[in-house]
Amino acid sequence: MSVSREDVLNIAHLAEFDVDEETLPALAEQMSRILDYVAQISALAASETARPFIPGPDALRFRPDEVKPWPLAFGPEAFAPEFQDGFFLVPKLGQFEDTEAPG
Amino acid sequence: MTDPSEALASARAAADRLTKTKRLNASLTPPRELRKSLLLQAQAAHPSGVLYGMPIAVKDNICTLEFTTTCGSKILGGYRSPYEATAVAKLRGAGALIAGKTNCDEFAMGSSTEHSAYGRTLHPTDKTRVPGGSSGGSAALVAAGVVPAALGSETGGSVRQPASFCGVVGIKPTYGRVSRYGLVAFGSSLDQIGVLGRSVHDAARVLSVISGRDTKDATCEDRDSLRLPTVPESLQGFVIGIPKEYFPPDLDAGVRRACDRAIRLLRELGAAVRDVSLPHTPYAVAAYYIIAPAEASSNLARYDGARYGPRFNGSLDIRALYRRTRGEGFGAEVRRRILVGTYVLSAGYYDAYYRRAQQMRALIAQDFRNVFDRGVDLVFTPTTPAPAFKAGEKLADPVAMYLSDIFTVTANLAGLPALSLPIGRIKGLPIGGQFIGQAFVEDDMLEAAYALERVIAAAEEA
Repeated sequence: MSVSREDVLNIAHLAEFDVDEETLPALAEQMSRILDYVAQISALAASETARPFIPGPDALRFRPDEVKPWPLAFGPEAFAPEFQDGFFLVPKLGQFEDTEAPG
Repeated sequence: MTDPSEALASARAAADRLTKTKRLNASLTPPRELRKSLLLQAQAAHPSGVLYGMPIAVKDNICTLEFTTTCGSKILGGYRSPYEATAVAKLRGAGALIAGKTNCDEFAMGSSTEHSAYGRTLHPTDKTRVPGGSSGGSAALVAAGVVPAALGSETGGSVRQPASFCGVVGIKPTYGRVSRYGLVAFGSSLDQIGVLGRSVHDAARVLSVISGRDTKDATCEDRDSLRLPTVPESLQGFVIGIPKEYFPPDLDAGVRRACDRAIRLLRELGAAVRDVSLPHTPYAVAAYYIIAPAEASSNLARYDGARYGPRFNGSLDIRALYRRTRGEGFGAEVRRRILVGTYVLSAGYYDAYYRRAQQMRALIAQDFRNVFDRGVDLVFTPTTPAPAFKAGEKLADPVAMYLSDIFTVTANLAGLPALSLPIGRIKGLPIGGQFIGQAFVEDDMLEAAYALERVIAAAEEA
């Protein structure tokens, strides 16, 4: 499996992070090596009937569906990058704003 | 210990030791802040607790109120959690003193504690080597005698592998034995909080305190806390399986010799030792390095600079903010794993990679069930294929780094309890041996480890 520079850029786009131009060749080479290694599981005959293994309790216990204050030691204003009037502040979604803007 | 003056003395002594071992870069909490906190905690601790006055360090991916929780990452630099992990709350309830946060591979992704944004942790006896990872800071502090026990976390061996490299005991409990509430998620179907201790007893008593039901974690089993077994005189009645797949021809000769001696000692203790086979073991690392990155790519999607952590700014567009924050905030190994995880979950590759890996996981779990169904109580293996490697040796080759987890990932994939304890040394470097037990039968594993630890200590004194 050979991962190209374009493949890395496409996956990084899906994963929502920037990749430096100078790290691309090494990243593509390392990803190729990792994917080559993990591809050995293709030795396993494909089976649609095999039951997946999920550790933990056989059945999840649900809490009552109630809205109640969560006991936090302090509120989001103490750790948010920007917070105002009960809201997290973020930049606008530029492309959306542009297309939706009245002409 | 029940006397408040003893708890204060314990706090002071731990703070002194932490200051003296600063060069290891094992603790991420500034010494002055830690000393102040330890003294306050000692004054507030309840003397009736079973861990009263015991300083316990906590891996930096487990949330605490007193100290920052950065997961060894720049993307959580300075982050202070508004709640604490259930395991930490239980330690505090038992009178323990939280002795700061320990260095780790970023988001617990690594096997050497070289992938921390805050610098690598040194091996406590050979600074040119790694302490293992990802809980390398916890292992180094225990091995250096700074704390008698520390919390770590396991996704693929991150407690047992550093325990083996540093010559301490490491326990990974059954999936669901300890609440994951407040453990920052990496691979949610694999993650468990574990314990590192200077002895089986120290590690086991901390595990006993942090175990048990928790309504805040739906994957935590509705069970009482683990009850500690007594130290057995013999292992008469135990059947211990030796899986041939964990003793390949290229296994380090020193590791093989140490395991052979441990197996002989287990026989002398009265255990019946049987050869067994876990045939899908050779595929475990491949399955793990598909499933864990896939889960990580989802779990780490939340770090985007919008709600917490530093924001790498400079743009008026939110997508650009996400991409810049994540691109600059994550280190190389985390970026690699997110990319691999995103790739194996993407259209056209899901069946070839992720579905196959899940099927392999089921086969690996079935291998263990087959062995245990034939009357085997525990499996014994080396913890790692070789002792601690040199710093930098595996950084350029991620697959070589991943293969250092080859004997530990199976227990995580199968959700089973496992324990590493020191069984010898090669040129001064510790070697660990591993017991893997049946789900929720940690007491068998602890009994065998108590007995083996005792006879190894006696053999080394002789």
